[in-house]
Amino acid sequence: MMASTSATEAVPSRPGFRSTMLGARLREAGWGYGFVLAPIGVFGLFFIYPFIYAIYISFYHWGILGKQGSAHGTFNYSNVLHDPIFHTALRNIAEYTFAVVPLELALGLSLALLINQKIRGRNFFRSSFYFPSIASSVAITTIALYIFNAQGLFNQIIGSNRAWFADASTVGWSIVGLNTWTTSGTVMIFYLAALQSIPDDVYEAAAVDATSAWRTFWRITFPLLKPAHFFCIVVFGIGALKLFDQAFIVANGASGAPNYATMVPIIYIYNEAFGNSDFGVAAAAGVIYFVIIFALTIVMRLTVGRQEPA
Amino acid sequence: MTKRLAMVLGLIVLVGALVAASAQAGHKTHKVTNVVVAGWSSGGDEDNLLQQVINVFNQTHSSVHATLQIINTNYSQAMTARFAAHNPPDVFYVDSSVIGQWQKQGVIQSLNGFINKSHYNTKKFYPKLLGAFKHGKTVYGFPKDWSPLATEVNNSMFAKAGLHAAPKTWAQLKSDAKALQQHGVAHPICLSADWARMGAFLYQNRGSLTKHLTSQANVRAVNFYVGLLKSGLAAQPSTLGVGWCGEALGKAKSAIIFEGNWVLPYMKSTFPNVHYGVTPMVKGKAQGNLAFTVSYSMAKDSQNKQAAWTLLSWLTSKKGQTIWMSKGLSLPSRSDVKAIGGRAPFLKAAPFARGWGFGNPNFNNAYTVMGNDLTAVISGSKTTQQMLSDVAKALKGQ
Repeated sequence: MMASTSATEAVPSRPGFRSTMLGARLREAGWGYGFVLAPIGVFGLFFIYPFIYAIYISFYHWGILGKQGSAHGTFNYSNVLHDPIFHTALRNIAEYTFAVVPLELALGLSLALLINQKIRGRNFFRSSFYFPSIASSVAITTIALYIFNAQGLFNQIIGSNRAWFADASTVGWSIVGLNTWTTSGTVMIFYLAALQSIPDDVYEAAAVDATSAWRTFWRITFPLLKPAHFFCIVVFGIGALKLFDQAFIVANGASGAPNYATMVPIIYIYNEAFGNSDFGVAAAAGVIYFVIIFALTIVMRLTVGRQEPA
Repeated sequence: MTKRLAMVLGLIVLVGALVAASAQAGHKTHKVTNVVVAGWSSGGDEDNLLQQVINVFNQTHSSVHATLQIINTNYSQAMTARFAAHNPPDVFYVDSSVIGQWQKQGVIQSLNGFINKSHYNTKKFYPKLLGAFKHGKTVYGFPKDWSPLATEVNNSMFAKAGLHAAPKTWAQLKSDAKALQQHGVAHPICLSADWARMGAFLYQNRGSLTKHLTSQANVRAVNFYVGLLKSGLAAQPSTLGVGWCGEALGKAKSAIIFEGNWVLPYMKSTFPNVHYGVTPMVKGKAQGNLAFTVSYSMAKDSQNKQAAWTLLSWLTSKKGQTIWMSKGLSLPSRSDVKAIGGRAPFLKAAPFARGWGFGNPNFNNAYTVMGNDLTAVISGSKTTQQMLSDVAKALKGQ
């Protein structure tokens, strides 16, 4: 401690040292800002600028060639908020998200617990479980449509005649099932990393107390995975709210068919912009949806992500 | 020495002048304007044929050179982006279902000025088809080809059921379907939950898609169409485990379908051994049909409008369209061009078939409502009246 103080006190006694240090710090900061500038520039160009521009055009009648007329105001917001199809889209995405996220997390965690064991062929299982996550969602959805059609393989096995992806009462759950399977591999990776960061001594202490495996999981493992839970809920929750490709492929376009069962907010926005050429309405719907997702993230941060007092 | 040098220099100047003059003359005589024509891909055969047509144009026109751009997927979206960037192709396909919307957005050039200036004869186009690309008296494109719906039947399934001719009326359609069902065909008719099929039945019942949408004629036509599905005489492609009704015909899942002339090349390539017949669309109280047609139109932002007009007017002329029809892949939109390749039954609908889209600028949104509401009516969660009312509002942009 004394030595440290002496060294600190010695600094002013060396002429030019302070300015040299300052220069070095400035150079270091300059490099730092330099490195940050490129990604910030990209972020600004492709995210911040379009976002601000979207807010701007959301106050106008905006067509393919730009502003249509001089009228401006909140009419696009009013149209979107009073559109029953947008309400359906919000209801569909809420149901989808509340169904798919817990299932993804449950399946991902189960797989992570399984492959965290010292079992033979562990690497094979890790790769196998992760494979659907890296496969193209378009390819997977197309194959699923084939397997689950009225006379497809799935119905041959269970002896049914239901067109799972064409029936308004089952298409939502079919997409939930499909995405639970494809996304669980990624969830598994995050949980696996979190499981391996839990120190062994807590399990050793539980073993000394002869705690059952079930109790160990619920009282030790699950609570200690809380940061992973928060991370997965936020990341995969937002991912679920951005559902597009499966809904688009299943409906063979942005129609939301059958009977609006695949109409979700991103499909709604896409259809307004590229189907109806009404970019003002599309932008207003985008801004409204951004506010909803942002608010949900804050709520999740304040609830699931809340840090326990030390 | 000086004299010789002067002669050499003079010769060089003379040769240089001659070369420059001939280059200038050549430049003047071969001034070529490049134009781009864009369309979507309709399969390898049709793409190649279109390229051949463009090649003939280039060979016969020294002042305009056309380049074909095929947009493989999401044509409407790709074109929207190019319109927005003020960089559209000079000439391009426009489906009759979007012409109203694009015209309203101001991205399509009116052709009236060019028609008047060049005294282009538009009377050879079937009026209903040309009408699909007109707004009032303003022409926004010429139909390049078209197709109505027709009745296609699986001959061997009909023969097994003791039927010898395709149904011509609604009553025959029902009775034939019942006969087929009695001979083991679970769902004799394939019907999509699609207004692009059901719309024809509305006109067959003297209804309309453009006025009095909630009329009793429309209600009864919808109930007939939906009734076929609810009774099991008909089924949707998804129920039959196929992608579309053409596949149902080929796989003998259904014996009767209502599709356009696009079913012909499909059957030829996918089910070459299936014998089927094509007859004009069934009729109800009247003959009614929809015309699915695509125009060649010009971009308002085209930098070479005169050259674009030269190309557009040639492509849709008798000569251009005759070459386009030469392989029998489509149906002529001009009365002075003959249909070949077994397409004669389709042509009979030319006088009365209505252009799909009806020039309505709100049609895309209305079509979304149509499809979703029809599935709701079929499942029983909406009434026919509610659907017709929703569609009427959507067509008005409400």
